[in-house]
Amino acid sequence: MTASVIAPVAEPVRNRETNTRRRLPLRLLAIAYVSLLIGLPVAFLFGKAFGLGVGTFWHQITEPGALDALELSAKVAAIVVPVNTVVGIGAGLLLARRRFPGKRLLDLTFDVPIAISPIIIGLSLFLAYSKIGAFGPWLFKHGFMLVFSVPGIVLATMAVSLPYVLRSIVPVLIEIGETQEQAARTLGAGMWRRLFTITLPAIRWALLYGIALTLARTLGEFGAVLIVSGNVTDKTQTLPIYIYDAWDQVPTNDAGAFSGAVLLALISITVLVVLSILRARERRLRVDIA
Amino acid sequence: MAGPASDIPQALKAPPAPRSRRRFGVRTLGGVLGVFGGSALLMGYLSLIVLIPIAAVAAHGLGITVHTHGWGLAFWHWTGTTDFSAFWANVTNATARQAIWLSLWLSLAVAAVNAVLGVVIALVLVRDTFPGKRLLEGVIDLPFALPTIVAGVVIVYLYGQASPVHINLYETWMGLFVALLFVTLPFSVRAVQPVLESFDGQAEDASRSLGAGGIRTFMSILLPSLLPAILTGFGLAFARAIGEFGSISLISGGLGRTTPASAYIFNLFSDGGSYYSAAAAVSVALLVISLLLLASTGVASTRVQRRLSQ
Amino acid sequence: MSISLEKVTKRFGVTFGVEDVTTVIPSGALTAILGPSGAGKSTLLKLIGGLVTPDEGRIFIDDDDVTDVDPRHRNIGFCFQNYAPFRHMTVAKNVAYGLKVRHRPRAEIAARVEEMLELVRLSALANRYPAQLSGGEMQRMALARALAISPRVLLLDEPFGALDAQVRAELRTWIKELHDRIHVTTVLVTHDQNEAMEVADSLIVLNEGHVEQTGTPTDLYDHPASEFVLQFLGPSTNVFGQAVRPHDLIIVTAGQGWPATVTEISTLGFEIRVAIVLENGDAAWLQQSRAEFDTHPVTIGQAIGVQRRDATVSPVGTRLDPAARSTEAVPDDRALTQRAP
Repeated sequence: MTASVIAPVAEPVRNRETNTRRRLPLRLLAIAYVSLLIGLPVAFLFGKAFGLGVGTFWHQITEPGALDALELSAKVAAIVVPVNTVVGIGAGLLLARRRFPGKRLLDLTFDVPIAISPIIIGLSLFLAYSKIGAFGPWLFKHGFMLVFSVPGIVLATMAVSLPYVLRSIVPVLIEIGETQEQAARTLGAGMWRRLFTITLPAIRWALLYGIALTLARTLGEFGAVLIVSGNVTDKTQTLPIYIYDAWDQVPTNDAGAFSGAVLLALISITVLVVLSILRARERRLRVDIA
Repeated sequence: MAGPASDIPQALKAPPAPRSRRRFGVRTLGGVLGVFGGSALLMGYLSLIVLIPIAAVAAHGLGITVHTHGWGLAFWHWTGTTDFSAFWANVTNATARQAIWLSLWLSLAVAAVNAVLGVVIALVLVRDTFPGKRLLEGVIDLPFALPTIVAGVVIVYLYGQASPVHINLYETWMGLFVALLFVTLPFSVRAVQPVLESFDGQAEDASRSLGAGGIRTFMSILLPSLLPAILTGFGLAFARAIGEFGSISLISGGLGRTTPASAYIFNLFSDGGSYYSAAAAVSVALLVISLLLLASTGVASTRVQRRLSQ
Repeated sequence: MSISLEKVTKRFGVTFGVEDVTTVIPSGALTAILGPSGAGKSTLLKLIGGLVTPDEGRIFIDDDDVTDVDPRHRNIGFCFQNYAPFRHMTVAKNVAYGLKVRHRPRAEIAARVEEMLELVRLSALANRYPAQLSGGEMQRMALARALAISPRVLLLDEPFGALDAQVRAELRTWIKELHDRIHVTTVLVTHDQNEAMEVADSLIVLNEGHVEQTGTPTDLYDHPASEFVLQFLGPSTNVFGQAVRPHDLIIVTAGQGWPATVTEISTLGFEIRVAIVLENGDAAWLQQSRAEFDTHPVTIGQAIGVQRRDATVSPVGTRLDPAARSTEAVPDDRALTQRAP
């Protein structure tokens, strides 16, 4: 060890060897834990589902109930993701750039969906907007039913996926500061042009990262939607609800549950892969900015 | 450093300034209205999605009833009452207590275990290199991207009644424990990893050159600096665990000794009617607990951080 | 395009950014706004540019009242301290931005960009991204970008602050040459008085939000209006509580002038600094050329007399001609110092 202090440059190879020997137990522990805790169950999922046979898998996936669920999930995502992206960008710019009374409250509001159980979120929406809620009677009169309806699912999904875009872009917005926008302003660019040609491109990786997270959460949300949807088959089942329903049936629809789970897992893993590519890009960009 | 003699003065004929020659008001009227309107929309959306529902839970849980007199433009005259005793009863009855306690200690345990292992894994990710490390990073992120119900399905089939590895954790706290470890690991790792990445190792080198061994260096130099991040990760993991529903909904079975708070709330809700306020009450209790713990880890983390930067 | 400010005030909370500033910046000249940190220099520049709106006062660019006009419409070029490059665009696209905003035809933009890049000698780097440029290159790109729109005024906010000394010196010369060729009214903010003196045609010295003095560098150097200006611009030393230029002091025989003892003699290139202690304990220093020193050398510990150059007592050795005093900037050579025992 002292040798590396006396002649640090001359000893790189030796250092690596000593490191490896010392690092090995930690490395093994980490690999073992992650493999057993996460790797094993996920591998099992895929193994079991395909063990049923690709034919069965396909049959289950294309079953009308499953397709309806997939369609509903996609529809909900098509509404929720753009809305929360726009909200995230708007609020993000406000939080990162302006000082105003109530800024703390705005910040905290975006923390709520992450910190609170989805069950409680679903319950809160129910208590606020269903028949028994404060606005319930008025809404009901105007034909809006929260429970057993798609608007209710959309609302619940909006609530749980609210903060991801914002939390992703705010640190980057703060880091890059406003000078690029100021420069663009002196060059003659107006507010919207600055937003689309300067601000958004500058944060694009963080923005895409946030959108990917929002999408993952939107497709995968279970607890809040379960409460709000009332779980009526074929009408208000998103894919996660469909999976739960398959398991809940008597006798348990193993094949259905597994196939659905695999499908949802595949979609999510794709998003995950995209996420890691984005994160790598973002990290590389960060280094450039430094 | 004289450059080529380009035709500068002539070429500097100014191109026309941007089209809209609004010469009054740096903050144009349209801009102001736009920002104002946008903020109003934003606040409206947030109220709709978050603020009003939270108020509704608090109201139902605490039995707040508000009597308003009149809706006119003149002020509302309202009186409010709180039914605290009902709230208390809903939260302290036997089943409620059991559920809340179960969630509480499970979440604390899970957050603690993953805090330790999170540091181990972060160390390996940041400071070690081996083939397949990328894969490891990806696997760690899986629970983050995987829908909770998928995790639930997987856990209940692997460790449930028909377990292929003959481990039956159905309706046991151990099953819940495993599920919660599964979903919270990414939080623990990702809270610590970037902080660890930012360390340049100089302090540790100094410690080693003074004769301290690896473990000593870790305990006295590295760990204290990581403490704020570890605390933050602990808070995040705890908050996630105590509210977790999807992944534990299947393995926890039905009503029974192994009903965590989130499932208990759901069951109350399913019963409907007068049980709505009970569900709301337990929700409030859970929220308070989460809030307290997040606040304390936040404060602790900031305090340690401050001491470190002095 | 001259710039005129009338009673311009900008407050930040309880502190003044700038207060009651009235001044005229001459057309076509390179003016430096000089002052210590926090003096309000950047604020003043941003007021001219419109990135900050004044609480009081009016701002005119060439007789147009631009006080309420958005920076977009002031037709100014602004270069920021950290260059503010558009990192997601190539150098060429950066330079083209202002023209694109003005919806110029593509061919015109391309020609103009090429011309600007040639002007700043970045043609070879046209398709690089800012991350691949050095600091000096990024600053040149920023200049090209600002100049592409043919602004009537060019504003530079500590443009060379973040660069190392050598690059800074090169860019200083280069911008002076550029200005000589282009003659755009240029305003440059700096805290480095050497830079200001070397580059500027006219100076505005700011202190704590107020204008201390304006004029040519020589004016301010020779006839400082206040002790602050004297101390800020060029070397100064204190004698009996009064600030004075070190080369305005001469050595006379002991017994004449103010009694003093030599404590240190340092050689910096052709300049010699003689540190002394006066009878009352004040420490001061004299600045002399080598030739001056050699005509009447002193040694450490020697008792001498010191007086102002414009007094009528004959110095030790040859009488010096006041007109021969040096006004050149002191080069940054290593000092050879003899220490007093």
